[in-house]
Amino acid sequence: MNVELTELTRKFGRTRAVAGVTLEAGPGVFGLLGPNGAGKTSLLRMMATVLPPTSGTLRLLGRDPGSYGPRREIRRRLGYLPQSLGYYPGFTVAEFVEYFALLKDMPPGRVPRAVAAAIEHVGLGDRARAKLRTLSGGMLRRVGIAQAIVNEPELLLLDEPTAGLDPEQRVAFRALLREFGKRATVIVSTHLVEDVAAACTEVTLMDAGRLVFHGTPGELIAQGEGHGVGDAPLERGYSAVLAAARS
Amino acid sequence: MTGGEELAGGYRGAGPAPGDVDLDRVWLGVAAQVWRRRPGPVERAAARLLRSPGLARALVTTPSLLLAWVIATVVILIAGIGFTVGTGTPWVALVAPPVAAAGIAYAYGPGIDPAWELSQSMAVSDRMVLLARALAVFGLNAALGLAAAAASGAAAAVTFGWLVPMTAVCALALAAATVTRSPNVGVAAGAAGWAIAVLAGQAADGRFTAAVTDSEFVLPYLAFAACCGVVVLLATRIPRGTS
Amino acid sequence: MDDDALIAAVAHGDDTALRELFSRHAPWLAGRLRAVLPAAEVEDVLQETFLGVWRGAAGYRPEGSAGGWLWGIARRQAALWLRRRGPAELLLPALLAADGRDPGDPAEAALSRAELARAVRALGPEGGTARETWRLVYVEDKSVAEVARLMGVSVGTVKSRAHRARRLMRAALRHHQPAREGGGQ
Repeated sequence: MNVELTELTRKFGRTRAVAGVTLEAGPGVFGLLGPNGAGKTSLLRMMATVLPPTSGTLRLLGRDPGSYGPRREIRRRLGYLPQSLGYYPGFTVAEFVEYFALLKDMPPGRVPRAVAAAIEHVGLGDRARAKLRTLSGGMLRRVGIAQAIVNEPELLLLDEPTAGLDPEQRVAFRALLREFGKRATVIVSTHLVEDVAAACTEVTLMDAGRLVFHGTPGELIAQGEGHGVGDAPLERGYSAVLAAARS
Repeated sequence: MTGGEELAGGYRGAGPAPGDVDLDRVWLGVAAQVWRRRPGPVERAAARLLRSPGLARALVTTPSLLLAWVIATVVILIAGIGFTVGTGTPWVALVAPPVAAAGIAYAYGPGIDPAWELSQSMAVSDRMVLLARALAVFGLNAALGLAAAAASGAAAAVTFGWLVPMTAVCALALAAATVTRSPNVGVAAGAAGWAIAVLAGQAADGRFTAAVTDSEFVLPYLAFAACCGVVVLLATRIPRGTS
Repeated sequence: MDDDALIAAVAHGDDTALRELFSRHAPWLAGRLRAVLPAAEVEDVLQETFLGVWRGAAGYRPEGSAGGWLWGIARRQAALWLRRRGPAELLLPALLAADGRDPGDPAEAALSRAELARAVRALGPEGGTARETWRLVYVEDKSVAEVARLMGVSVGTVKSRAHRARRLMRAALRHHQPAREGGGQ
C-alpha cells in the first residue's frame, strides 16, 4: 500500500475542507472527482506533504510524513503537480525540470538522462532548450508533468493535469498515466470525467470534504442507471451519486 | 572518399533499424548530453560544501544574489562611501542594513517564487533553501559593507558595530516577508524599522548614528533578531492553504 | 530542411536539427553498424556517433554527401570501440582456429597470446592496411564483399591483402623467417 488515510481531516478555521477521509491505494491509477470546493486539492496537498492534517492518520509509502526524516524520504519518491504551477520565465524547459530533479535529491549522475527522458515523455523534445516564457499554456502544463515524473516517483499526484491540453495530447497523457500506474500509485484530480473513464482503475468521488463514492468506473456507471443527469454514462453516475449524497 | 560516395546513393533505401537496437534509448543518451547544464565553479563548490547539489542550485539562483542586484548594492555602498568621506558621518553604516534587509526579503518566499507550492513538496525543504539563501545574502552584504566601511575610512568603532543592527533589520524584513508572503512588505518593514531605530537613537542621543554606535543597543537588537527568527520558523512551519 | 541545412543548423547549436538528423539517419546507420557489431554495442557506438555530429558539425563541407560524412563518423566510432576492447581477446580464437590448434589448455593459451601479440606486430602499424584487413576478415569474420565496401577497395584487392596478412603472421608464428616490420602496402 502506498497511501493509507484513516479519518483524515483538515480544517481551515471553522471550515472542514476534508472531513474524515479513509482511503487505501496501492499501485494503479486513481481518479479523484468532485465539484469545486469538494476538498480534492486539500486532500492532494496533504498527500504531497505540503499541508499537515488537522486530525486522522496519514501514511505514505509506508512512512509517517509527520517527522522530518521520513518526510524527506517520501518527497524523494514523490511527484506532484499543483493546480496552478508558476514557472521561472528565464529558465529553459530542461533547466526547469533539472532544477526540481536536483531538489528531489536525485543523484546528479542520473539527472541528465532522467531529464531527457521526462521531456521526451511529455512530447517536448523539440523545445528542450526553449525558454519557458515562449511556451503556450498547454506546453507549460506538460513541463509541469515532466518535473513531476522526472524522479520516477512511487507516488504521483496530479491536480488538474490536463488543463490546456488538446485532445491528442490528452490521449498521450492517459497512456503515460497507465504506464506509471503499473508500478506507482497515480492520483489524478480532475473535472473531466472522460479523462477518468479512459485511464483510471478506480474512481473516488468527493463532496463537501467527504468521500461519497469509491470503486471502479464501471461501478460508478452502474450508480447512474435510470437516474442522473448527464450525457455520458459516467457523468450520469457522477451526478446520481452527488444527488444521493446531498439528500 | 570512394566509400562515402558508394553509400550516398544507396542509404535512403536501407530500410528500418534492426529490431534489437533501441533507437529511443540511443536518442535519450544523446539528448542527455546535449541538453545538460554544466554547473559553474561557484555552484560546484557550494554543492561540495553543503553536500547537496539541489541546495547549491537553489542558492545560485537566488534573485538577490544575481549580478544585477549585487551591482546595485555595490553602487549604493559606493555612494555611501562618497557621502561618508564628504560629510564625516558614517553613511555606509547607516545604509548597509536596510540594503541587506531588502536583499533578504527578496531571497525567497511566495512573493518571489512562482513555483512556491511545488517548492514546498521538495526533499530539499524550502526552509533549508530559505536559511541558505538568507545566510548567503547576509554574508555577502556584510562583506561588501565591511569593504565599503574600510574604504570610507570611518571610525573603527563603527566598522563592526553596524553588523548587529543589520542582523536585527534583516530578521525583521524576513519575518515580515514570510508572514505576509510578500517581499515588498518585508522591504518596507525593514526600511521602516531601521528608520525608527535611527530616529529614536537621534532623539535619545542627538546623533543619527546612535543606532549603530551605541553599544547598549546590542542586546536588544540581538533579542529582537531572535524573536523575528522564531516568527520565521513558525511562519514557515504551518503552510496555509485556502481550499 | 535538407541534410546540409540541418548539419549547418547543428553547427550553430540547434539541438532540434540534431533531433531531426537522428530520426532520419539513425535507422540506417544502426543497420550498417549492426552488421559489424553486436546490438548492445551498436547502441553505444550510435550514441557516440551523434554526439560526434553535435560536436563536429562545424567541420562538415557541404560538397560531400551528408550520408557519407555521417557514416564516416560512425565507422570511426566503431573502430575506436573495437580498438578499446583489446586486440588479443578478439584475435586469439580466430587465429588459433585458423591454425587448427585448440586453445583448451590455459597454459597453452597464455603462451599463444604472447606469440600472437608478436605475430600481430609483424603485420605493421595499427590502422595500416594489412592489420585492418586481418581484423575485418579473420577476427570479425566479415564477408569479403562487406570488407571491400568498408575499406573502399575492390574485392580482389581485399583477397590479396588478406592472403598477404596470413603469410606474414604464419611466418612470424613459425619463426622460420624473421618477422618483417612495417609491412605496409
